[in-house]
Amino acid sequence: MATANMKDVKRRIKSVESTMQITKAMQLVASSKLRRAKERALAAQPFFAALYDTMSDISNDPAFTSIYTKKKVLKSTLFVVIAGDRGLAGGFNSNVLKLASQKVEELLEKKEKVSVICVGRKAVEYCEKRGYDVVGRFPQVAESLNIVDAEDIADEIIEKFRCAYYDQVDMVYTTFVSALTQEPVAVSVLPVQDLATGVRSKSLTEYDPSPEEVFDGLIPQYLTGLIYAAVVDSFASEQAARRTAMESASDNAEEMINNLSLLYNRARQAMITQELTEISSASLNDSE
Amino acid sequence: MNTFKLKIITPEKIFYEGEAVQIIAKTAAGNVGILAGHTPYVANVVPSPLKISENGTDFRIAAVSSGIVKSENNIVTVVTTAVEWAEDIDVARAERSKERAERELAARASDKEFRHAEQRLKRALNRLTVSGKM
Repeated sequence: MATANMKDVKRRIKSVESTMQITKAMQLVASSKLRRAKERALAAQPFFAALYDTMSDISNDPAFTSIYTKKKVLKSTLFVVIAGDRGLAGGFNSNVLKLASQKVEELLEKKEKVSVICVGRKAVEYCEKRGYDVVGRFPQVAESLNIVDAEDIADEIIEKFRCAYYDQVDMVYTTFVSALTQEPVAVSVLPVQDLATGVRSKSLTEYDPSPEEVFDGLIPQYLTGLIYAAVVDSFASEQAARRTAMESASDNAEEMINNLSLLYNRARQAMITQELTEISSASLNDSE
Repeated sequence: MNTFKLKIITPEKIFYEGEAVQIIAKTAAGNVGILAGHTPYVANVVPSPLKISENGTDFRIAAVSSGIVKSENNIVTVVTTAVEWAEDIDVARAERSKERAERELAARASDKEFRHAEQRLKRALNRLTVSGKM
């Protein structure tokens, strides 16, 4: 019986070891991807700041109006939900999707029309399973997201907003707080709100052809930048979450291996002791 | 010659930062030249060649997609989603995306696809123009 047990334990140690190899490798991959994603997220900052400045400058003009800033009676909302393409990232996907479904259901209860644009395979799967009205699917763009993809998503949103299918656009994604904390957030995208409203005065800047047209013209870029930044942010969070999850998985595997080795050594010792007893008792019997 | 500070910003990086004597950008209304000491000015830029002169005589050309150009306190900022120097443009790729866009336009799909293809064609044509291959 002891030999069978030993074989089992040995097999288990081997399997845990190979799992640990995988989790270790994933951890390393996630850390290097995290570093790159953080750089990308940082590089997107100046673009966004420049656009935002211009937009708040324009909106400070008292005479300024735009269909993109008007607040409307809420009747239909479009959500952009950004999650990952793969699992094994701790609570990353489930946290952000939970927040998204909470927001969607809140509005559905009020009998409002809600549609969803999903970025990331997990978001697509989740929203379809829940039976939401999915109007846009963008799986597997997060890792190699380039600006053209972001433009496509932004185009789709702007078109629907301009046609007044929706009077509000919100975005749910995960923001990278630190390597250990990532927080799911919901932000409002359109209509544009919270533009810095300092002293509302007519500025001396000359807008060609008019402030309104410049503003409306740069909305696509603003939205593209916003989406790009959010996807990059979410991707960095995913990598950080995966790294943490894989780190603890590796730690757990190590602990399991330690326990199993102890078990194995005990079984081995028990067997040797038993053999010794058998030999000595046999030789005792012989000498009699 | 008087210079001003020029910055070209994309979401991916700060593409250019330095002193320039003149830039010529194309807005919806036509070409606009900006020299040092320009009054505060903001306009939308359409996909077009952007000409930048660092010494007042020679121009470097870059392909920009849509964005804005802004002049303020002798700092000129061009904010755009994509920009490439003329010499860095992958002509073969631009040709390919031009052909693809033309095919899609010919196929006369839905309204939305038509507009997408049209935009892609504009981008591809712009890049080909800038690289001097057309």
